[in-house]
Amino acid sequence: MKLLWQLSVRNLFRHRRRTLMLVAAIVVAVSSVTLLNSLIRGFQYDLAESAVANLTGHIKILAPGYRDDPSIEKSFEIAKDWQPDIPAQDMQGWAPRVRVPAVIMSERETRGIQLVGVDPASEHISFVGSARYIGERLVGSDDKRVVIGKVLAEQLETDVGRRLVLITQGADGLNREAGFRVAGLYDAEGTSLEKAFVFTGLSRLQAMLDAEVVTEVSVRLNQELHMSGIKTTLVDFFSGLDVLDWRELEPQAAAMFVFADTAIYIWFLIMMGALVFGLVNTLITSVMERVREFGMLRAVGMRAKSIVAQVVIESSIVMAVSVAIGLALGGVFIYWLRDGIDLTQWAEGMEMAGMRSVMYPHPQADDFVLVAFLSMLLGVFASLYPAWRATKIKPLEALRR
Amino acid sequence: MFKVIVRVCVLFTFTGTGVFAEQSTIPHGTTDAHQIVAGAVDLMRGETSYTEMSMLVHRPDWQRSSSLVGWTRGRQDALIRFTAPAKDAGNATLKQGEKMWTYTPKLNRTIRLPFSLMSQSWAGSDFSYNDLSRTDKLLHDYDLTLDQVVDSEGGHRIYFITAVPHEDAPVVWGKEEMIIRDDFVLMSQTYFDQALEPLKKMETLEIREMGGRMIASKMRMAKLDEPDNYTEISYDVADFGVQVDDQLFTLFALKSGGRG
Repeated sequence: MKLLWQLSVRNLFRHRRRTLMLVAAIVVAVSSVTLLNSLIRGFQYDLAESAVANLTGHIKILAPGYRDDPSIEKSFEIAKDWQPDIPAQDMQGWAPRVRVPAVIMSERETRGIQLVGVDPASEHISFVGSARYIGERLVGSDDKRVVIGKVLAEQLETDVGRRLVLITQGADGLNREAGFRVAGLYDAEGTSLEKAFVFTGLSRLQAMLDAEVVTEVSVRLNQELHMSGIKTTLVDFFSGLDVLDWRELEPQAAAMFVFADTAIYIWFLIMMGALVFGLVNTLITSVMERVREFGMLRAVGMRAKSIVAQVVIESSIVMAVSVAIGLALGGVFIYWLRDGIDLTQWAEGMEMAGMRSVMYPHPQADDFVLVAFLSMLLGVFASLYPAWRATKIKPLEALRR
Repeated sequence: MFKVIVRVCVLFTFTGTGVFAEQSTIPHGTTDAHQIVAGAVDLMRGETSYTEMSMLVHRPDWQRSSSLVGWTRGRQDALIRFTAPAKDAGNATLKQGEKMWTYTPKLNRTIRLPFSLMSQSWAGSDFSYNDLSRTDKLLHDYDLTLDQVVDSEGGHRIYFITAVPHEDAPVVWGKEEMIIRDDFVLMSQTYFDQALEPLKKMETLEIREMGGRMIASKMRMAKLDEPDNYTEISYDVADFGVQVDDQLFTLFALKSGGRG
């Protein structure tokens, strides 16, 4: 066995240039796969993150019919002291909201928007809490002011401190209108959010609508791992209401999420497939060059099994070294791009795909392991054919050359 | 279609403005702005009215005039119908309290107007429904102050009043300024944005005795930064306290086209 190792290593070093070329090819492939992999993961998680952060949460509880006809009539009551029955380590937070379609008017413009009553203290789970603000944020559930998106403020030609009129439908079906002063403007990543949502205090909006109810409860988890279990708990608790997770609420984002998974594997297969042919080719060449050597080994009594082992070991060493270097190089690239790839120029198009304007790599340990493992497997696989060719060498013919 | 709808909405007010029960005057020495505005608003209320109006929408490149006829009862009910030009004739709008419908003979269809549409500031004309339709808003959504009293050359006293909307009032304006003559005729109303820059102004161009009252018989609304764009309404006939049929302010009358 030790002998086989020695032979393999020596063979590799005898043809430095060829070995280096092979290593370089694999390094490039592996590092590009890791980099692209982590970028796609970044996109994927960004997508999920923004889908969850844009008021959806991981799980949302809605009154039946609200999704078809969002109005205050499709609402439900929750007890003041209600707490979701979810282990604290799993839950990032939850937020009750009233969300109704409304018309917003300034002196110059009128727009249709979604008016959302929130309790600012529990909105750390959505972009309401995390967005940058010009002016002030809402301070409490009874805050009588509104915060609106920066883009909407431009459309309405209004500003912090100005008043706006909001018109919506009350619980009795009659119209309600009231003036609201603008506390601040939020800067969400994505102008569609800024155009669509206007926020005010939850109890303020309930008072305006004459309804001590909410239209949705949004739950944000720390990770998606236990989502289905928690969902079942909530379904039991809120019988008669719609309990939906973000994949159901944002089917487009969920589909993109699955698509990204597939894209990673497709890319990996293409890169590695191309590589395998190169590997096979190189190994066959190296076997053919050593016809005499193999013939000699066979003549002195080496068994076919050992010949196969020798070629496989050769290829595995090349693979192991190159994959290690490739992963390291990929890691360097990822580190180099840690601040993200700025795609602000194409921000609008990106937004349509549900992406933010900066693309961050999101390296994942199990992706690295998978790349390494699959590469090694391919390496062994690719060396089998050349090894088989090597065993077919007839010692007599070989020695007579 | 839309233009027509909105235009008609506005006219409810105008028919309303002509309706009042009794012409009184502001007593000398009055300092209560609320009382003065209440008087002006009361002048606009009344039992019933019948009016024939023409409306002129003026733009730098074109202008268009239409004729309308309208009936009102109190502040709640109104029916307005276009009589000219032929293209618009028969278009009608019915108001019952807060609800409004329009009828277009070409489509033979009545449409209930959504609230959001009624609150639009509309294209084609310079009035908005909100500016004019709910004048009694002035009484409960604003703080009113009397700034100045001036004796005019015509022997009338003129009262200058500033109205600042309450914090949570459904009013987009920063403030409004009104000039009211001592016989409660509204001479002008200026709308300011929240930087307190004047945005638009409604002026009374002509005061005439019609139907036994002194009323603002011709009014013009214009945006101040586009003085070449304005809309004028003038009354050709105004009758007050007329007999109107209960049937008039129903969807059936709206559809039955002028014969209501």
